Amino acid sequence: MRLRLQIPCERTQLGLLLDSIEQSLLEHGIARELRDDMRLIAEEVVCNAIEHGDDGGEHAQRRIAVDIARDDDGLHVEFRDNGKPFDPLDHDPPELDADILDRPVGGLGVHLVRELARSVRYVREEPYNVLHVVLRTR
Amino acid sequence: MELQIHIDPPSNGSQRIALGGRLDTDSYAEFDRQLEPLLPGMQSLLLDLSELVYISSAGIRSIFRARKALAGHSGKVLVLNPQPQIQKVFDVVKAVPLNEIFSSAAEADAYLDAMQRKVLRGDEDED
Repeated sequence: MRLRLQIPCERTQLGLLLDSIEQSLLEHGIARELRDDMRLIAEEVVCNAIEHGDDGGEHAQRRIAVDIARDDDGLHVEFRDNGKPFDPLDHDPPELDADILDRPVGGLGVHLVRELARSVRYVREEPYNVLHVVLRTR
Repeated sequence: MELQIHIDPPSNGSQRIALGGRLDTDSYAEFDRQLEPLLPGMQSLLLDLSELVYISSAGIRSIFRARKALAGHSGKVLVLNPQPQIQKVFDVVKAVPLNEIFSSAAEADAYLDAMQRKVLRGDEDED
């Protein structure tokens, strides 16, 4: 299986992208749990790219592409956007054990991606931010 | 797969809200909008997640905001019957303490009754 999708970096396009990914995985017989993990990872990564890659209109056309390839042991996913350099992995892990009153409400998206994926790797390939994510099939 | 929100009439400061569909980037704002006016007078919120099939960090943020709002006046958010995807996300981010997640309405009600009696007796919260 090989799937490639591309959208403008706009919040309004996100739902359609996630539904398209899910539909493709369903058609390829990917199990529910992995489809859910893929949806979550795509939502978190694309949201971050939309939010942080804004360069004040320097790029007239900010786009993000999602490339998914399946092999024997999992899904290999590449997210590629032409926003300004932004490494989503360059953050301290969130404090999960503090009292609710002391915990920030945000900062959990990247943590979820790291925990659900087998591996996550960021690289800047001018003019693109590239995030490689591998998900287990089992 | 729109988010469905069903809000029961409140009773004695406790409020049950049932969610269905997905609580995510596209739907959390609507949930916040309906929930926020109810929070100030709320002692406990029982979130029935039996029909919720998916949550992302955007949905977790909404639940955290509710937990913070209630914790401010010693209230609690309790969760009923989270489906596997939701339980998995909750576990990863420690969204809700495990003793505040219930698999049956009867268990949650018993917990609420005990909480209510504590409040009536004016006991200190023993966490």
